[in-house]
Amino acid sequence: MTEFDQLFRKYHKRLLLYTLKFVDSESDALDIVQNVFVAVWENGKFKQNEDIVRAYLFNSVRNSCLNYLKHQKIVRKFESETSLMFKEIETVHFQSGEKSLIETENLQQINDAINSLPDIYKEVIFLSRFEGLKNSEIAQKLHLPIRTIETRVFRALSSLKEKISQKSFFILLYMTDSNKI
Amino acid sequence: MKVNENTEQLVSRYLNGECTTEEQKELIAWIGKSSSNQKDFLEIKDTWDSLRNTHDGSDEQLVFFYKNRYAKAKTSKNLWISSLTAVAAVLIIGLLVSTLIPSQSNPKQIGKMQVFSVPLGSRSKVVLADGSIVNLNSGSELQFSSTFSSDNRVVNLTGEAFFSVTTDKQHPFVVKTKDFDVRVTGTKFNVCSYNDNSYSTATLAEGIIDLKMNNSLELVKINPGIKFQLNRKSNEHTLFEADIESEIAWKDDQFIFKNIPFPELAKRLERWYDVKLDYTDKRLQNYNFTGKFKNQETIWQVLDALKLTSPIDYTKKTFRGFTITYKPLSMK
Repeated sequence: MTEFDQLFRKYHKRLLLYTLKFVDSESDALDIVQNVFVAVWENGKFKQNEDIVRAYLFNSVRNSCLNYLKHQKIVRKFESETSLMFKEIETVHFQSGEKSLIETENLQQINDAINSLPDIYKEVIFLSRFEGLKNSEIAQKLHLPIRTIETRVFRALSSLKEKISQKSFFILLYMTDSNKI
Repeated sequence: MKVNENTEQLVSRYLNGECTTEEQKELIAWIGKSSSNQKDFLEIKDTWDSLRNTHDGSDEQLVFFYKNRYAKAKTSKNLWISSLTAVAAVLIIGLLVSTLIPSQSNPKQIGKMQVFSVPLGSRSKVVLADGSIVNLNSGSELQFSSTFSSDNRVVNLTGEAFFSVTTDKQHPFVVKTKDFDVRVTGTKFNVCSYNDNSYSTATLAEGIIDLKMNNSLELVKINPGIKFQLNRKSNEHTLFEADIESEIAWKDDQFIFKNIPFPELAKRLERWYDVKLDYTDKRLQNYNFTGKFKNQETIWQVLDALKLTSPIDYTKKTFRGFTITYKPLSMK
């Protein structure tokens, strides 16, 4: 497998997820990611050190998303303004250098972290993110009020977020320790 | 994090796309109140986004990438195109289900073999260099030599696949399985040969096929509409009229079964949904099932339907595991 193939396979899914934060249409998102890889192929950036390439890929994808959003603003004049405000807040946040978990973490490890959640949290995440059920459908399935489900989804996500950041912290501690020896 | 319950519900509803415009405005107002609110919201959304269950089409996309490169290069007649021809020769086209082929396994090369494997819970479609189309069912693997071409049409199959073979009388198309070889010149047929099944089958939709069992010289001719079934224990085979529609419905994402015993149903559900169904009660084995699921129902919906119509109950045990128990239907 060539260097380029490896890079493509390693980052394609992550870049697609990242694109989908800003772009709703999956086929447009796929186009954006393809075009970024075309650029990386043509300018030979893929031969550089992986940290540089990763940063380059995520930045290029985000810039393409911004252009896309600008264009969408013109195309969909009548779209409700509130939904665009959320997108704006989000893009500004990531433009200012904030990194998404999708960029910094291994997706497999994020998924594995779900298993360490308490069962009632694991269940709502599984049903909403993997089975694709709406909160109202989950409430029906588990015979619980919808508000309970909504609260659980939120707390499950907070707890997962904590766990993921904690885990990186532990790895860091471990590395410093082994350096001392 | 100091977030009251009402806001938790609001955020959760927003993420799930269930917010009204009024609620969206309420949420925007809350986010605008402090930078820590905003940070909390965006971090929760980021966690939610990272769990998105999108299918991993990396390989499909990589082939697509090369195909476009190749199309461009062809016009400029660069030298490196020949090396890309091989890559472009095999195209995975429509992939039918959400979770897909894991990037490390498809297509990979073992020696000089190309391998396409489809994980449990997914189905996939491959177009071979001779134009033949192969639909692969969950948990199946298709192997062929990197020299596969319109002159050399031999593939190996484990699992289930539906073949639409391009007609070429000079160069027969051969499907090799653990139990038998199928030789055709241009037909449509279904082969099912999972390692953990007690039967291996071949069913013909169109044309004619010759089938040769691996441990005998006998050649079996199969006519359209006929199903060949080999009992792998006794090594005896039977031929009978098959219901083609339900045999090959899986390739159109429909889950259809006619009069099959519970153990077989359980096995098919496990592959189709990538779940584990445990059962110990012997009484379950006495029931035969017939049914159609055409709208990509979830495993929950299928189990609920079984629970309503047959003496079966289920409990969820692990992440993707269920225990099936016997529970007589209450007749009222």
